[in-house]
Amino acid sequence: MPPDPLSSTFAALADPTRRAILARLALGETSVMELAKPFDMSLPAISKHLKVLEHAGLISRGREAQWRPCRIAPASFKEVDGWLGNFRRFWDESFNRLDGLLEEMKAEEAAKAPPRTRKVRVTKEKQRGRTRG
Amino acid sequence: MDARVDKTLRITTPSDVEFAMTRQFDAPRHLVFDAMTKPEYLVRWLGCDAMAMPVCEVDLRVGGRYRYVFRSSDGIEHVLTGTFREVARPDRIAFGETFSMPGFASDEYLVTSTFVEEAGTTTLTTTIRHPTKEARDGHLNSGIEKGVEPAYDRLAKIVAGMA
Repeated sequence: MPPDPLSSTFAALADPTRRAILARLALGETSVMELAKPFDMSLPAISKHLKVLEHAGLISRGREAQWRPCRIAPASFKEVDGWLGNFRRFWDESFNRLDGLLEEMKAEEAAKAPPRTRKVRVTKEKQRGRTRG
Repeated sequence: MDARVDKTLRITTPSDVEFAMTRQFDAPRHLVFDAMTKPEYLVRWLGCDAMAMPVCEVDLRVGGRYRYVFRSSDGIEHVLTGTFREVARPDRIAFGETFSMPGFASDEYLVTSTFVEEAGTTTLTTTIRHPTKEARDGHLNSGIEKGVEPAYDRLAKIVAGMA
């Protein structure tokens, strides 16, 4: 494993073909031959992608010489899941809360200083004053 | 609420070493700027349900530092610290930031936020620039929204079943 597993995991995920391979493997383990079929790609090309995925810890491969089935490696995916999920969740949740806070800040500001409202209020007060006086 | 305000969080990759988050807010930009830079506001929104924010210190001036600590429910502290490089209310703010948690400390990356206001709606764009592509990819991967997620949702389900 490289010193920073998450970096190589993301680098591996940056390629659309490798993501497609993972999507296929999510349905169940299969052989390199089967994997290559839908991709219109040579076996060596597919093997290269598989090596990257394996190096990133996203898949594991069986030891059977000919068959070498490929399968998803759940541990590393769990790590990615946590990372991506947390990042998005963190900012989505934060920004949604910020929406609420901004509504409050707008209302606060409107109550404090908007020239238009203030003018009206002053006028009303003056009128009230006049009436009273 | 203004229907033209698009509150979707968008994540893009302007270059090999950067990614950017864009989000619109239904408020003038000076308010968005304040909400993002003043501790009394920050503590009210930054974070998520799973993360409390016990420390929020901000010295908002060029060369000034900030420190945010988030504590997850299992007691792990995630620390964001940085130094302001540019403070131009309400247009723009830039700072160098590092993220650390037990067993991990990032290199410093540069964060630049711009606030663009149009008809009372503010578009916030936060660009995060890493020293290397590897570091950027580690922080976030390109195509994450459209590319990874569909495949990934399925994977996540399978993984959950295995756990």
